[in-house]
Amino acid sequence: MIDIIEVNPVWALFAPVALGVLALAGAALNGILVSRAERRSFRSGAAIPVFEIARLMRQRRRTTVAADVLLWRIGCAGLVVVAVLKTAVIPVGPWVLADIPVGVVWFNTMDVLVWALVWLIGWGANSAHSLVGGYRFLAQAVSYELPLMFALVTPAVAAHSLRVSDVVAAQQELWFVIWMPIAFVVFCMSVVAFSNWGPFATAASGDIAGGILTEVSGVDRLLILAGRYALLTTGAAFAVVLFFGGGAGPLLPSWLWTLVKTLLLLAAFVALRHRMPAVRPERLAEVAWIIVLPAVLLQTLAVSIVVAVRG
Amino acid sequence: MGLRSTLAGCATHRVHVLVLEVPGWGETRMRVEAELARRGWTSATSPADADVLLVCGKPGEELESACARLWSQLPGPRVRAAVITASDVASTLERAMDELLDDARHHSDARTRSRQPAKPRDETAHTEHAAPGDSVESTEHDVDMAMDMDVDMDMDMDMDMDMPMPGGIPLASGGPDRDGLEMDVLHVPLGPVLPHWPAGLVVRCVLQGDVIVSAQAEILPAAAQPIGDGLVAGDSGRSVDDKRRLAVIRRSDAAASVLALAGWSFAAGRARRIRDAVASGTALLGVAADLDKLAQSVGRSWTLRWTLKGITVGDTLAQAENGMGQSGSETVRGRLIGWLDEARRTARDDKAEGAYELQDPLALQRSLLSEIPRLLNGTDIATARLIIAALEIETAPVTQTPQSRI
Repeated sequence: MIDIIEVNPVWALFAPVALGVLALAGAALNGILVSRAERRSFRSGAAIPVFEIARLMRQRRRTTVAADVLLWRIGCAGLVVVAVLKTAVIPVGPWVLADIPVGVVWFNTMDVLVWALVWLIGWGANSAHSLVGGYRFLAQAVSYELPLMFALVTPAVAAHSLRVSDVVAAQQELWFVIWMPIAFVVFCMSVVAFSNWGPFATAASGDIAGGILTEVSGVDRLLILAGRYALLTTGAAFAVVLFFGGGAGPLLPSWLWTLVKTLLLLAAFVALRHRMPAVRPERLAEVAWIIVLPAVLLQTLAVSIVVAVRG
Repeated sequence: MGLRSTLAGCATHRVHVLVLEVPGWGETRMRVEAELARRGWTSATSPADADVLLVCGKPGEELESACARLWSQLPGPRVRAAVITASDVASTLERAMDELLDDARHHSDARTRSRQPAKPRDETAHTEHAAPGDSVESTEHDVDMAMDMDVDMDMDMDMDMDMPMPGGIPLASGGPDRDGLEMDVLHVPLGPVLPHWPAGLVVRCVLQGDVIVSAQAEILPAAAQPIGDGLVAGDSGRSVDDKRRLAVIRRSDAAASVLALAGWSFAAGRARRIRDAVASGTALLGVAADLDKLAQSVGRSWTLRWTLKGITVGDTLAQAENGMGQSGSETVRGRLIGWLDEARRTARDDKAEGAYELQDPLALQRSLLSEIPRLLNGTDIATARLIIAALEIETAPVTQTPQSRI
């Protein structure tokens, strides 16, 4: 049994560093998969994120005619901030920065902010392609948000609490992934969707010249791309906490278990990008509302009944 | 200066190149893509994403000014390069990399260029809609308005200023959309430079949201015809083997575009590698197995089937290609699978020799272009992009005749 304790707030300085390292690992894995497909060396692939960071640090920012610069820059910088704020409630082994009574809601609040931020990136540039990217993200968000909320609620129902440490403690006997698989899958898909990644990256896809990324260069672009990986990483970490018993595991110390599980899940998310074509928002809406939402509601109902019967 | 040069050294390991393909220089563009993949570089999706602007071929006047506008949108450090023959690609890219490393040059470039983004009413008024990264308001129609308004303001400050004009550009006006609601109307050109887009094509769209209300197609011509030094240019006097190679290259290039637009970058990469292997001289039988595998995974993918469901390219193609064993495959997915099947059969030489001759390319391409407005009407941009890629328009023959406008 892991007792989760709040650590000294000074560790908040360390959280973004850890998040950055994990996100970089995700980006490196993506680079490796890309370069392996192109038959280039493993090392050149793993270094792609480093090259890209250097390139974007060297590149100038740009602006467009009549851009809404303030809102645009807020959008660009915001994704990373949101991801860092999410780390506050994610326990690493026995330690957490803030074990607030509504930790699960905190996570959800942060990913609702992503709606606004991505829209601002699309809106601010005053460019048709960016704007279409923004529209696409909102259309996609309407599809994933409700299923995501119910997927988040399900472990909380089973734990009788919205406090993240209680959710971890409730998985002492059985990981939630085993008896709420639908909620787990829906949560993972939603993480990929709000990170604007892989099959759900239509807001930034090549057919609209990069969509929300069309007009962004230099450090702004770096922040958006880093924000995507950071959101993917925090999403994986939160899935570990909600469904995989947090730091529970044999032999290794519990903080290491959290990291290992997070990395494995992150790798699965990254690899998903290379497996399937894009899911267009209007096609997603159909499936999300007619199949996924009822399915996850049934999952919540089933869990609620089990919890009620067991008292 | 150690840090700066280290940074520059790292940055030039992954250069993003924006490729402007002039009609007729498809082979050069393919060679560029192959060379980018070999170096671990990548194609840029928009000017903001690019370090190098690479012009393949000799652009005509309109393409040239589109090119100037794109150039003004590159954030910098930026390098502009041009390549005419496919054999020069490697050396041109090498030179571009050296120029990217030249810090002094970029300092002076940054000092001399305007800090303000080019306004839609400067002298290149006719082409500003050319760039993919263009701002919403920069359409021909609106540009003209902006110019007039500006003149008026200088002379007569009492003009009606009820309507705010951010950046000197009037706001979009509203209009009833397909659901009967009022929605902003934007005039947005697609092309001539977009990823996976036919060379030189511009489709001037009227958009509401991302739905195309009306569209007009035109092709911006080249300044000269390519010298027939390669596989794509010129059709006369080539061996049967060359024709088979050309057929496989064209089909896999087209398949790569559709797959990339469907968001399946890995399958697109496989199609592109098959294309590049054939272009670089690998035996056709050597790629047959790869083609089989690709065709299999494309055919089996239920997500692709689902995402392309119901997207059709009209009946022009079926009528024009009746002799090519493709009739009936009118959906985008059908076209894609048809290409891959044809490519693998051609690679194995299961077909009669005459089958991969093109049938009157000019008339077919013209009819395809004239179909664009009808096909695109009422579709969203994603669908429109898939339809245009599935039409597989060859823009070069159309521009090489005197009357290039449709």
